[in-house]
Amino acid sequence: MSKTKVIAAFEDDPLPATPALDDESPFATMMSLFDEAADLVGVDPNNYAVLRKPDSELKVSLPVMLEDGTVHVFDGYRVQHHQGLGPFIGPMRLEPTLKVDELRALAAWMTWKCAVLNIPFGGAAGGIRINAKLRSRLELERAVRRYTAELLDVIGPDRDVLTPDVGTDEAVMAWVMDTVSIHERHTENGVVTGKPLFMAGTRLSKQSVAIGLQTILQLSVERYGFQDRQIEVIIQGAGQVGGNLARILHAGGHKVCGISDLSGGLYKFEGLDIPTIMAYRAAHGTLEDAPGDHARLTNAELLALPCDVLVPCATANAIHSRTAADVRAKLIVEGAHGPVSALADRILHDNGVPVVPDILANAGGVVVDYFEWVQNRQGLSWIDPVILKRIRRFMTEAWSAVSEVQLRHGVRLRMAANMLAVERVAAADKLRGIYA
Amino acid sequence: MAETTAIETQLEINEFNPFLAMAERFEAAADVLGLEAGVREVLRTPDRELTVAIPVLMDDKTIRVFRGYRVQHNFLRGPCKGGIRFAPDVHLDEVRALAAWMTWKCSVVGIPFGGGKGGVICNPRELSDGELERITRRYTVSIMDILGPDRDVPAPDMNTNEQTMAWIMDTYSMHVRRTSTAVVTGKPLNLGGSLGRREATGRGVMITCREALKTMGLRAQDARVVVQGSGNVGGIGAQLLHREGYRIVSLSDMWGAIHDDRGLDVPDVLNYLAKNKRLAGYPDAEHISNAEQLFLDCEVLVPAATENQITSKNVDRIKAQLIVEGANGPTTAPADVKLAERGVVVVPDILANAGGVTVSYFEWVQDRMGYFWTEEIVNARLEETMVTAFNEVYRTSQKHSCSLRTAAYILAIDRVATVYKMRGIFA
Repeated sequence: MSKTKVIAAFEDDPLPATPALDDESPFATMMSLFDEAADLVGVDPNNYAVLRKPDSELKVSLPVMLEDGTVHVFDGYRVQHHQGLGPFIGPMRLEPTLKVDELRALAAWMTWKCAVLNIPFGGAAGGIRINAKLRSRLELERAVRRYTAELLDVIGPDRDVLTPDVGTDEAVMAWVMDTVSIHERHTENGVVTGKPLFMAGTRLSKQSVAIGLQTILQLSVERYGFQDRQIEVIIQGAGQVGGNLARILHAGGHKVCGISDLSGGLYKFEGLDIPTIMAYRAAHGTLEDAPGDHARLTNAELLALPCDVLVPCATANAIHSRTAADVRAKLIVEGAHGPVSALADRILHDNGVPVVPDILANAGGVVVDYFEWVQNRQGLSWIDPVILKRIRRFMTEAWSAVSEVQLRHGVRLRMAANMLAVERVAAADKLRGIYA
Repeated sequence: MAETTAIETQLEINEFNPFLAMAERFEAAADVLGLEAGVREVLRTPDRELTVAIPVLMDDKTIRVFRGYRVQHNFLRGPCKGGIRFAPDVHLDEVRALAAWMTWKCSVVGIPFGGGKGGVICNPRELSDGELERITRRYTVSIMDILGPDRDVPAPDMNTNEQTMAWIMDTYSMHVRRTSTAVVTGKPLNLGGSLGRREATGRGVMITCREALKTMGLRAQDARVVVQGSGNVGGIGAQLLHREGYRIVSLSDMWGAIHDDRGLDVPDVLNYLAKNKRLAGYPDAEHISNAEQLFLDCEVLVPAATENQITSKNVDRIKAQLIVEGANGPTTAPADVKLAERGVVVVPDILANAGGVTVSYFEWVQDRMGYFWTEEIVNARLEETMVTAFNEVYRTSQKHSCSLRTAAYILAIDRVATVYKMRGIFA
């Protein structure tokens, strides 16, 4: 009970005073990378100035009747970063420690990611400061519905599309869609993505990131010249991203030599028996004691083994300044969000290990979010082969565009992706001009 | 004596007025269809005409008020579709006629639009970019209530371009509080434009030319093609025909033409043109005048420059067996009659150059679904649309034993009239 009170009290905390663009904030840190990109790509400073601030930030108070009959007022936010390329799209979070500056960073990140992938959206992010674990489903539903109602004027298929993220599952997205639909007096599927399949969701949404990763992995392997043989891959993470990637690669005849989860890693030079291992994990929820004649090792040991491609699909900063020098992979493809720290990035670069950045490599998710929105607009569900072909199309086009910038400017892939993003958004802005 | 001259002058004015020419062709087709007078009246009359005043703060701080128009000729088959032009000689009569022209064009190729057209009386050469942007934005706001993806969808025309369309899209989107790319077509690629749009009209010319030759039993390698023009329509059309194995024997620009009976190296000519801005001085061909070009020995003539090129004065000396109208109104009505007498086949403008509006339609479709096709898909669908339209027009001409032009109008008018009869008069 006392614990409940402490966390509930945190939900009540006023926002940390809206920070200006200072160097400490996640938004400022993220943007500084893009300042450099804008500079390198030669974007008009007048044009870039617009991109350095979010278009709008909305804060709403959400009074909710709790199960015990008392009223609690939660805080909700939606930050919309930039709409030059189209409607906003971005995550909705239910998180007890939601910070507006993180939302700003997330929103801007979505702008850049959509631009790299050439999908017609700007970035946004938002959510409710609430601890889903301490709240009943009914309380959550009331909070989500009130949040949606407060946001009605700024969200919609052509305004701002909400995607699932921390704490938001299929049911939460369905509540948002239902609330908007009731207010609009017609079914409005396209306002959220990540909906259940039987409710205008899309096929392959769970596999999307892995399919995108596999496409990028294939392209980068061709680019760095070891495509003529069976490639050896080590994957950190065995969940929706890592696990699916392992399955796809194994089915495609590649050698998955290593895989890990929280319990540690499995390794076999000749290649792991992925179907058996994944079946075991599906049944037991862990890789620990998975059957087979593989070696068992820690996550840190796994990351230091020699291989062709290392795909960190688990946590941020998995490869950091103290471990980067140990990496013996020929190539790293970032499956997770920010698995290589900024310092590690520099060390890897000095050691000649190319890193395919997350903004490009793990974008299969947002591509399929986009496909869900398109299917909702068309009123037509695409079948698996169509989605597969189209994910490959978008990933391949993005890879080519990033590679082109990289070769033209002689920069790292990560910088090339950032430059491409800024260049595309600024070009659209220039054409639209400043309204009024 | 004086009276005779006046009549001749009047005849000449009538011959050179493409809109009177169109009206004449409308009546001819309506006669074949046996259209009753009331329906004829409905289809002749624009549904809606809006005139707006556009006050603009000029760079020198003075205020000028420009005049703008938007005419919606007919929205029975769908939202209106048609360009916006900026020119000093924009006239309401002309805008009306062009709007009607769009109705027939959309109907021939079977895309779900009616015709519209707009314009602002101004001289873009004397205006700064800022002034042009302010004119565009205020014009957009002024016609806002009749604009929209489901109401009226403008496109670029004389002196308007991708940039103008981007301003319209931005202004409209800000007012409706959501991104609305489908409100205009001809947008830049990164703002909801379509791949393949720049080449679309030229590609349509190539396709209809190919289909027409098939019906005449002529093979590509036996067809010598003279192309008047070398820009977006003529140049690209020539390039695509060249790629299909046709012998392009002549191309022209405003100042003159080049000729080589063995066939020109079209990509080389276009490279030269891109570098030197004109064909004059091109080394590997004979240079002739624009007038002479039309009389060259050839199987196919593609007038893809301006209106009124083939007239009662020069029609007798034209040797081509097939004329594919890349431009709007290149053949006058009296010349048409003489060509028909001689059995020369004319693929009319409303069919031959409809590739442009077809890909505009594709852009609108892509904007509505938010998914953008690859260039191959755009081209494949254009091919399908143009071939279908050509075959329908051809069959109609066989059925009524008339020219392809009359057949195209018959088909276009019949489609609109049929919808009219089904929808009935509202209220």
